[in-house]
Amino acid sequence: MEKMRVKQFFNKLIKEEHPPFEKAAKEDDLLKKKQIDSSLAKNMEIFKEIYYVPNNCDVNIRDIEIGGTKKMAAVLSISSISNIKIIEELIIRPLLSNDNESKVIEKLLSQQVRKAQVIEDILKEINNGNTALFVDGEPNAYIINTSNFQGRSVEKAENEVVVKGPKESFNEQAITNISLIRKKIRDENLIVESTTISKRAKNELYLLYIKDIANEELLTTIRNKINSLDVDSIQNLSVLEQYIEDNIYSLFPTILYTERPDRAGEFLEDGFIVLIMDNSPDALILPATFWSFFHNAEDHYLRFLFGNFIRILRLLALFITLFISAIYIAITNYHVEMIPPDLLLAISSTREIVPFPPLVEILMLEIAFELIREGGLRVPKPIGPTIGIVGALILGQAAVQANLVSPLVVIIVALGGLSSFAIGDTNLNYTIRLMRFPFLISAGVFGLYGLTALFTIGLFYMTSIKSFGVPYLAPMTPNDSTAKDTIFRRLLKNELYRPGYLKPKDIEKKAGE
Amino acid sequence: MKNQLCLRQFLFLISMLLMLSGCWDQTNIDKRAYVVAIGIDKGEDNKINISYLITNPELSKQEGASSEPAYEIITFPTNDLISAKNTANSVIAKEITYNMLGVIIVSEELAKEPEFIRYMYDVTKDREIKRNKTMIITKEDVKTFLTENKPKLETRVHKYFEFIIENAKNAGLIPDFKLHSYFSITESDAGLFLSPYATTEQVPGGKYTVGEDELLAGELNIEGDSNTQFLGSAVFKEGKMIGTLNGEETRLTILLNETLEMGEIYTTYSDPFNQQYRISTRMMKRDKNEVKMDFTGYIPVIDVTVPVYTDILSTHSMETFDNGKIEQLKLHIEDEINKKLNNLIKRTQEEFKGEPFGWALIARKKFWTRHDFEKFDWMNTYPNMKVNVKVMVTIGTFGEQSKLPDLSEVRD
Amino acid sequence: MDHTKGKLGFREFLAIIIITFGTKLTDNTPTGLFNKVGSAAWITIILMCLLAIIPIYLLTKVITAYQDQNLVDIIYHLLGKYVGFFVIFVLWLTETYSIVLSSSMYTDIIETMYFVRTPTLYIYIILIGVAAYGAKKGLEFIGSTAWITLVGLNLALFVVLVLTFYLGRLSYLFPILGNGIGEIIKEGASNASIFGEFLYLGFIVTSLRSNNVYRKGIWTGFLYVSFIFILSLIAYIILFDYVSIVHLNYPFHESIRYIQLGFLTNVESLFLPFWLVASFIRFSFYLYISALLFGALFKINQFKYLVPSIAILIIFLGLIPEAPVFSLINFREKLVYISTPIFYFLPLLLWLMAKRKGVFKK
Repeated sequence: MEKMRVKQFFNKLIKEEHPPFEKAAKEDDLLKKKQIDSSLAKNMEIFKEIYYVPNNCDVNIRDIEIGGTKKMAAVLSISSISNIKIIEELIIRPLLSNDNESKVIEKLLSQQVRKAQVIEDILKEINNGNTALFVDGEPNAYIINTSNFQGRSVEKAENEVVVKGPKESFNEQAITNISLIRKKIRDENLIVESTTISKRAKNELYLLYIKDIANEELLTTIRNKINSLDVDSIQNLSVLEQYIEDNIYSLFPTILYTERPDRAGEFLEDGFIVLIMDNSPDALILPATFWSFFHNAEDHYLRFLFGNFIRILRLLALFITLFISAIYIAITNYHVEMIPPDLLLAISSTREIVPFPPLVEILMLEIAFELIREGGLRVPKPIGPTIGIVGALILGQAAVQANLVSPLVVIIVALGGLSSFAIGDTNLNYTIRLMRFPFLISAGVFGLYGLTALFTIGLFYMTSIKSFGVPYLAPMTPNDSTAKDTIFRRLLKNELYRPGYLKPKDIEKKAGE
Repeated sequence: MKNQLCLRQFLFLISMLLMLSGCWDQTNIDKRAYVVAIGIDKGEDNKINISYLITNPELSKQEGASSEPAYEIITFPTNDLISAKNTANSVIAKEITYNMLGVIIVSEELAKEPEFIRYMYDVTKDREIKRNKTMIITKEDVKTFLTENKPKLETRVHKYFEFIIENAKNAGLIPDFKLHSYFSITESDAGLFLSPYATTEQVPGGKYTVGEDELLAGELNIEGDSNTQFLGSAVFKEGKMIGTLNGEETRLTILLNETLEMGEIYTTYSDPFNQQYRISTRMMKRDKNEVKMDFTGYIPVIDVTVPVYTDILSTHSMETFDNGKIEQLKLHIEDEINKKLNNLIKRTQEEFKGEPFGWALIARKKFWTRHDFEKFDWMNTYPNMKVNVKVMVTIGTFGEQSKLPDLSEVRD
Repeated sequence: MDHTKGKLGFREFLAIIIITFGTKLTDNTPTGLFNKVGSAAWITIILMCLLAIIPIYLLTKVITAYQDQNLVDIIYHLLGKYVGFFVIFVLWLTETYSIVLSSSMYTDIIETMYFVRTPTLYIYIILIGVAAYGAKKGLEFIGSTAWITLVGLNLALFVVLVLTFYLGRLSYLFPILGNGIGEIIKEGASNASIFGEFLYLGFIVTSLRSNNVYRKGIWTGFLYVSFIFILSLIAYIILFDYVSIVHLNYPFHESIRYIQLGFLTNVESLFLPFWLVASFIRFSFYLYISALLFGALFKINQFKYLVPSIAILIIFLGLIPEAPVFSLINFREKLVYISTPIFYFLPLLLWLMAKRKGVFKK
């Protein structure tokens, strides 16, 4: 009892104040419980509104006149997840070419046909890739199985590898990519808008969001930004990313680039906005905070403790990559007293014969490591392993033997280099790798003082970055007591809210109460 | 916009300037000479002779055993500890640093000088000397001590000092006081500071004693390659050395002093059942001393109760103990410790006129303000105090095999 | 998109309070106390806290009676144009003076304790340069940075405290009353301006999400700061004893030089970065306040642009004192004696005026 009261007191104390968030609207749900009308026009109006047609570009409505009975009809399907060939050959053609007046619809179609009356049920079927056929004058819809989700012909993700969880990745076909996302979110509110973004090449961009979650203001900002582009050609998303990001010169990325449809889906459901283009085996997610780069798809697939364990490892890797060589320089040159005596003597004795100052020594090795990495990346597959051997053997062993570097420096650079691989995101990876060098130099010039000064400047800068108006370190700071997924993840049952910094239209992740 | 560009260029220039002119405090790790021990001897006039024991990092190298010696010792006259760093560079090639300093060694001769404390305050000025280092007092010149001290197994000389101090301290043979206590005890002017006492000079033939620890460094007769002894303690009053305590007295001081940690002490007592033999015991302190002070009377009184936990390890009289005998043994040991303690306390009151037991700290609780305490003048009152010591022995185990055969039967 | 609109929440505000006041116990603020009251310094702090409650309470009451107005507007409203200008000018002066003093002191700490050979000027430039960068970015980001680092900084502080308590001797706390009750009361009353900067927190009240955040932040921060102040003063005393501590210039730094962390025998460089981060944040907050006050005095709305100029001014002023160890203690004492009456009487004055003008009735 007392404990509860104390807990309540603290909760009240640390609770942040913020403007109230919105919750899901109820009227929509009521509409969906209704039966459909017998008038085709009315039905179409309802469904067009739900599917946000014509903005939603992969929802297909074909108005046809059934041959023979001369009745008007409409075929509704989502093109990215249904088999268009089947629709064309087995639904539309038989209907059009009919000349028998008395035949019922079921008989006309060679596919198996179900009837549905409630809007909600019909929506479910359509979202599953099936096709709905509405006929004027009939208070029901015919559902025909046409679903065709893109599956494992799609390739495995190569850059964002996971052990547990789905392994498929986006490919260069936008329609496949949308299908992969629709496979995860079978929600009529998932809108795919398309716009042409370049003047000459007429590149098509698909903007995905969930209508009743994503914030309007954010959507408008992004639409404006995209529409204001005045370029002849934007081949793919990697190029587009550089056109639309806020801070072009900044070291920190502000748009998340992922090749995993499951990640894109996850972000969509939190109220983020996803961009997809042809020719890009990936999706852009915006706005992106530091945490979205830091997190990995696997964090949530692994069990609570294991997921947090890899988070800790990643954080450690991040700090090691950033600081280990800088700290080595700072300590061996300025703060020698910190090193335990035996290690001190060991370093001292091995360094004695190295002709370069420590800063030069470590810079040399760092650059060599980066070279091996870059070289190894571009090298044709068959020669790949050779490069590894050459790099490790020649550069490590031989450099030590030739007294070019001391063995400890090899360990330090190798550890830093290896740790950098634990940061999966390509952009953040580059950020960290680049930032090492300023830290290294500041440590060389002013020891821990310089290192800390630069670190503090970095923090001040990082907190001030904004990605499409969202603070870079939200929700850690500025704090709102909604999403708490920052360094550590919570139990899934405790992740009740969507990130408040996006101002989603529905803050709670639970449906209903 | 133009302004911003200007600002950026300015900032860039500033940072370049910093970078080009930076690195003031930078000294490469391999360009330093690491002093492991500083020795201070009395020199001529107001000068001191300083000795550096500089370790050789070559030994830590993995490949190619080096033929260089493990360490180097230099001695030269200087004015103080800090400027000596520079003077030494006329001989030593690398920059002298005290970063790895383990011990400060002072000769007894210098420590007994009234001027000694002046040199010690150099230590507080130099940032490289930490207050958690140990000060060792040597009987002979430190120069001789360092050259004579040749640890055979610990070629890395910093390890040698680290280990020997650690283990002698655990055995209770030397006190566990750091430089920090030297300053705080001296400055509060209410107690005595103890410092480990060591020597390489053996008294020829050693000194015979009944027990095993009534010895001072140098008096233990050890034959073999190592001739350095850490045993007993040097007593400092007001920053100046005034005498020594032998190993046993040091142990008793540790027993009485609550601020010093007592390890397991192996020691012997005379056997109450057969005066010919001695019983060896392991002493431990499990509870705190109870110190009661009464300052109301004309003569201040201190009552100390010392609880001691003892294991009996060997009895050469081959007695097997029963309850009565245990009681007898207990009384005997209590009595023996009591006598020794009373002697020690008497010695501190009469000879040193101060106490190394940290009682001043306990006495402070009796006073409200610093002024009252200083008026009481602990240091000068102590010699006239009445100190009652009571030892409470608890006997624990009797070794792995508690019963011994009757010798007369064995011999039969 | 940012629904907080750049305003500070409770956590950021609390972090600023804790860091700006917490760093005080790492400089020579405790030394002054130890000099005067010996082992009873921690009792003095308790007394100081009790005394400080009244002005802080009055001030909070006045400030929260207004909506969306910071202390500048309130002072102008209550004291009128001319007196108000004068009061704010005095506040700006003491604030800037205290930045000069403390930055000079921190430079001295870095120079004597860690970077012996580096010229003061460069240490100073970096210290103030980083702080100015933060101040120029704005309060919101100072708060965010403070909050991010808060956990780490507190952890480091508590590691230091635990190790100090482990090595220290509780008997050093006695004689419990130190130099006597008289000294305790005298010093407690005249040194209360250690909490004087609580006044300046009133100037950022419009940058907070609500008055409630202000009230909660002030009191929680005040409690926490008092708590760590008392703990640290006890820790210093039991490590060094009241006689030796008088001779130490910077007890915190002597403590981290003395303690050991397992096999690491010299840990002061391990704690240095934490202390530095806290100092950078503290000075950027001070600089921000100074610029804000200056802006308020001369009606400069874009006061952030004043930060670089003020920073350069501070560097030049801070380099003046010779032998900073001794002169700074003197200057600091003078500052304390000037600012303590301000800290006591300004809130009282404001409260009385507010009462007369009937602000509380609304």
